[in-house]
Amino acid sequence: MPLRSQNLPGIGTKYEFSTDKGDTVAIFFTRTGTVQMYTLQQGCQTPSAAEMTPMEARRLGNILTGAIIEADQESVEIAFSALADLRITLHTLIIPASIDGKTIEDLQIRAKTGATVIAVSRHSMNIINPPASFVFEAGDTALVIGETDQIKKLEREISVE
Amino acid sequence: MEGFIIALFVCMVLALISKYLKVPAIPFYILAGVVLGKAGLGIVHSNEISHFFSEMGLLFLLFFMGLELKLDKMIADPSKLLTSGLIGLAVDMGIGFTAAYLLGFSLQEAFIIGTAFYITSTAIVITSLIENRKLMQRETETIIWLEVFEDIVLIIIIALLSMGNENLLFFFVKIALALGVMYLIAHYGKEFLISLLDRGDEIPLLFTFAAVLITASLSIFIGVPETMMVIALGAALATTDPEAFEQHARPFKDVFLVMFFVFFGVTIDFSTGVDLFTIVVICLLAVVSKLISGLLIGIAVHGSALSGLEIWANTISRGEFSIALAVLYGSPVVGTVVAVLVIFTTLVGAFTSKYSTWMRRAIVRLGRRSAPPRRLHLKH
Repeated sequence: MPLRSQNLPGIGTKYEFSTDKGDTVAIFFTRTGTVQMYTLQQGCQTPSAAEMTPMEARRLGNILTGAIIEADQESVEIAFSALADLRITLHTLIIPASIDGKTIEDLQIRAKTGATVIAVSRHSMNIINPPASFVFEAGDTALVIGETDQIKKLEREISVE
Repeated sequence: MEGFIIALFVCMVLALISKYLKVPAIPFYILAGVVLGKAGLGIVHSNEISHFFSEMGLLFLLFFMGLELKLDKMIADPSKLLTSGLIGLAVDMGIGFTAAYLLGFSLQEAFIIGTAFYITSTAIVITSLIENRKLMQRETETIIWLEVFEDIVLIIIIALLSMGNENLLFFFVKIALALGVMYLIAHYGKEFLISLLDRGDEIPLLFTFAAVLITASLSIFIGVPETMMVIALGAALATTDPEAFEQHARPFKDVFLVMFFVFFGVTIDFSTGVDLFTIVVICLLAVVSKLISGLLIGIAVHGSALSGLEIWANTISRGEFSIALAVLYGSPVVGTVVAVLVIFTTLVGAFTSKYSTWMRRAIVRLGRRSAPPRRLHLKH
């Protein structure tokens, strides 16, 4: 699967590769800031295309790398090949009403699960690195980081509470 | 001044409509100018202010063209570029020039009409390739190289036309000197220029604007064509950080170029003695000639007439460069012809580029239907 890349004047950068089964995939990062993806099935004449915003393209990238994406909760798994294949998952959780008013300390998140809350989004405001005394409100979105098992444990803890 | 504000407002509305309909905005701007100006209601007149804005539009258009010149890429694989480029040049320029000359234009007028007839609108062609999701087709690359080739031809033609009656040697020495100075500045001042463009304040925009204007006025002062020098400035600065320059020059280009189109429309005067027959013939030929050149290029480069059809469908639109030529070197009559040519071809081009896939499919189907006996014969 050799990947070809090419700079097209006025258009942008093109990446193209053929799969083992003979299909072709081409991605264009256009000057206008959008990303176009074309797929051409083997034996077909006309490719089908999708145009994406950079945000949508990243989302697609996450899906293709195998991270789970649910409607309102999403995960991104990052693998650092330089660090003995360290795999870290970033996951978003919606805080349920059951833990409304509790602090991170009350919940003992890190001690019990090993995962860490690194940001909370509330009414479209972001709180980065919330302190242990941070009080959750129902409906907050928390961004947690940890290994997949730790994240799963945290999800169980929260639903039990 | 009121007229100017009206023009600006009309353009804004038209820009919104054209974006909504996903059709090129250039014909709308020209039409707005025609309706508001001399040939229409006569509300908007060109004056010193509008002249200044149009001039800026032209300078930034050319500066941008210089920035996007990628000479190193063209040298990398010149064979494809040359085959398709030369076919296009010979066919389209030939037909345009001959037709204009036979229709009674003077040699120089015919030459300008021929060039305007040949040069397609890079902006419209590229945008429609992206919008119609045609980037993956093999013809797209050929089309892109055609556009690049046209840019080079345009620069040569601008040089030829602006030379006028000057002493050739003296003229070239002056240009070579000016080019040399620019490249030296770009080469030795590279770090400094990049640090200027990196700033978050008003400096990058101010610098870009000033660089273009100062180059233009200096070249008038030393007597070399400012159009050439602004293109050269773009090409020289492209060796530093072209993306940053494009980003900072874009606001000026976007606003001034719209003014340039509108006031080109405003100055159009249908009473200059150009008859309808001439205009219709040139407009129709403009579409037919691209079909001929497109088919020839398709067969020469891709070995397929269908590919040629695709190339034709995407390269019909004439635009900014044709108008620039008419404004710079054309008489009022040439201006009128080019205005109608641009409006007509952009509208036809918008349609053909959108439905080319459908056209190709229809032709393939027709071909199949008319040739079944041969197929049966082949099977036996």
